[in-house]
Amino acid sequence: MMAFNLAFRNLLGAGLRTWLNVIVLSFSFVIIIWTKGLLQGWDRQARHDMIKWEIGGGQYWHASYDPYDPFTLSDSHGAIPEGLAAIASDTSIVPVLIAQGTIFPAGRMQSVLIKGIPPEQKILALPTEKLVSADNDIPAIIGSSMAENTRLGEGDYVTLRWRDRNGTFDATEIRIAGLFETTVPTVDVGQVWIPLEKLREMMLLPGEATVLIAGELTGEVSVTDEWVFKDHKTLLADIEQIIKAKGSMGVIIWGILLLLAMLAVFDTQVFSIFRRQKEIGTYVALGMTRGEVVKLFTIEGAMNSVLAAAVGAIYGIPLLTLQAVNGISIPVKSSDYGLAMAEKLYPVYSIGLIAGTVLIVMLVTTIVSYWPSRKIARLNPTEALRGRMQ
Amino acid sequence: MGSGKFTALNGIDLTFGKGEFTGIIGPSGSGKTTLLNIIGTLDVPSEGSALILGQSVANLTPASSAALRKSKLGFIFQSYNLFQVHTVFENVEFPLLLQGIETAKRRQMVLDALEWVGLTDKIKSRPAQLSGGESQRVAIARAMVKRPAVVLADEPTANLDAANSHNILQTMEKLNRELQTTFLFATHDEKVISYVRRKIFLFDGKVARDEIIDKN
Repeated sequence: MMAFNLAFRNLLGAGLRTWLNVIVLSFSFVIIIWTKGLLQGWDRQARHDMIKWEIGGGQYWHASYDPYDPFTLSDSHGAIPEGLAAIASDTSIVPVLIAQGTIFPAGRMQSVLIKGIPPEQKILALPTEKLVSADNDIPAIIGSSMAENTRLGEGDYVTLRWRDRNGTFDATEIRIAGLFETTVPTVDVGQVWIPLEKLREMMLLPGEATVLIAGELTGEVSVTDEWVFKDHKTLLADIEQIIKAKGSMGVIIWGILLLLAMLAVFDTQVFSIFRRQKEIGTYVALGMTRGEVVKLFTIEGAMNSVLAAAVGAIYGIPLLTLQAVNGISIPVKSSDYGLAMAEKLYPVYSIGLIAGTVLIVMLVTTIVSYWPSRKIARLNPTEALRGRMQ
Repeated sequence: MGSGKFTALNGIDLTFGKGEFTGIIGPSGSGKTTLLNIIGTLDVPSEGSALILGQSVANLTPASSAALRKSKLGFIFQSYNLFQVHTVFENVEFPLLLQGIETAKRRQMVLDALEWVGLTDKIKSRPAQLSGGESQRVAIARAMVKRPAVVLADEPTANLDAANSHNILQTMEKLNRELQTTFLFATHDEKVISYVRRKIFLFDGKVARDEIIDKN
């Protein structure tokens, strides 16, 4: 305790030099927590929106379905297994049939994925109720990005061409019955949602589906050779990989900041040991062992991080709380990132994140403080007392 | 530039008793400070032996020599060596903090020590706010606060004017008489020499003369 008291006095006594170090170190604290909180918030928002708009409680995929290979689409469909068909009828499972197609908005040609979905489904946030139509036309819903790219609006008609299960081309007009705003580009960009039964008719695939989207899973997962269950971990793996990759830039930035702060602490320690030779000699003369003096200087250096945590808390807590409550506006469109990203991100600052960051910075500062302090153990106290450089 | 060994002390055979007020006198390079450093367990003789309060300096571990300095030895330096970021009170308190003395007792001991040197009105001052004489008196209080058996003072008046030198010498003489603390001075200052009751003259690392002065 005596060493802590003494180190604290010495540190405060050093005045401006201490506060410069402390401020630089506090920036590191706040920016590390901010960038990590932003990534956590992004991750949470992306997971939440993907589940809400696309994934549901999990998905059964037809064994041949590969979302990254459009050539598999012609074969990746099958009848819903009996066990699941019963659940599907009460909308606890949403069957989705996926086919390739082409639309011709304003005379241009654009490849799309046609997705058939039951209008009465309640699992996904898609406004599929707009797919209910009393007329004989084919209603469709598209996302706002798709609408912007194709310049289609509600009530517009557009020609849709597809190939049925026999490979025969056919075409019809579809009516844009509604647009939806989503942060999930994989249900928006290049996608046209139409009623499931219509698509089954068009594809000559009655009762078949490509993907079965589950609601909240309550019982055992049924699996057959033809249908493979994909849980959240699998379905969200891509987005987590992307966020991790994007997070590496944040790691580099806070690594540089931490390095700068550590250089400042290291430099101060080296400078202190040279400048305070007489003081070190006096400590030894008054009865401290050299080990105790090393400990004192190490604590003194490490205390920079304690003060930095306190200073960082003074401006960091209000600043980060404000952002966590009001969110941070993202100036680019989510589709540019190729993954779910809302116009506003709400950073998440967990206790673990804050405590972990504080501990890591304190540990690194302690090591950086100890490193030059070891020199004290080799000082000759009689030379040190005279203030001679050693 | 030389590569040969330098012999700071040679053939020294001295004994110091309790309550002595002794000057180790000699020109620069005569070995005064080296002798004081050995007595203060900050240095170890390369040959021969030194017994400090019954303990051989050569056999002391770093921890036991630190313990000896902490409780039994006091130091006064030419340039005071006060901790600049601490107040007068904190500077004097420091040796007691090292000993782990409890707060109330520590406070009283510090106030007593400051009273001995007449600085009770400066307890909150920082060393930078003190004159040279006041700084050296703080150093004396810091050396005396733990009631050491021996105080080692290396050129304590070298940075002081005549009036301040006499002032601190009188203070030390008074403490020596009242507390029976042994004072050993390394000096070549005539003012200090005029106060001591034993004069040991060193020349080229050897004792040239050892005189006891009867001041009664």
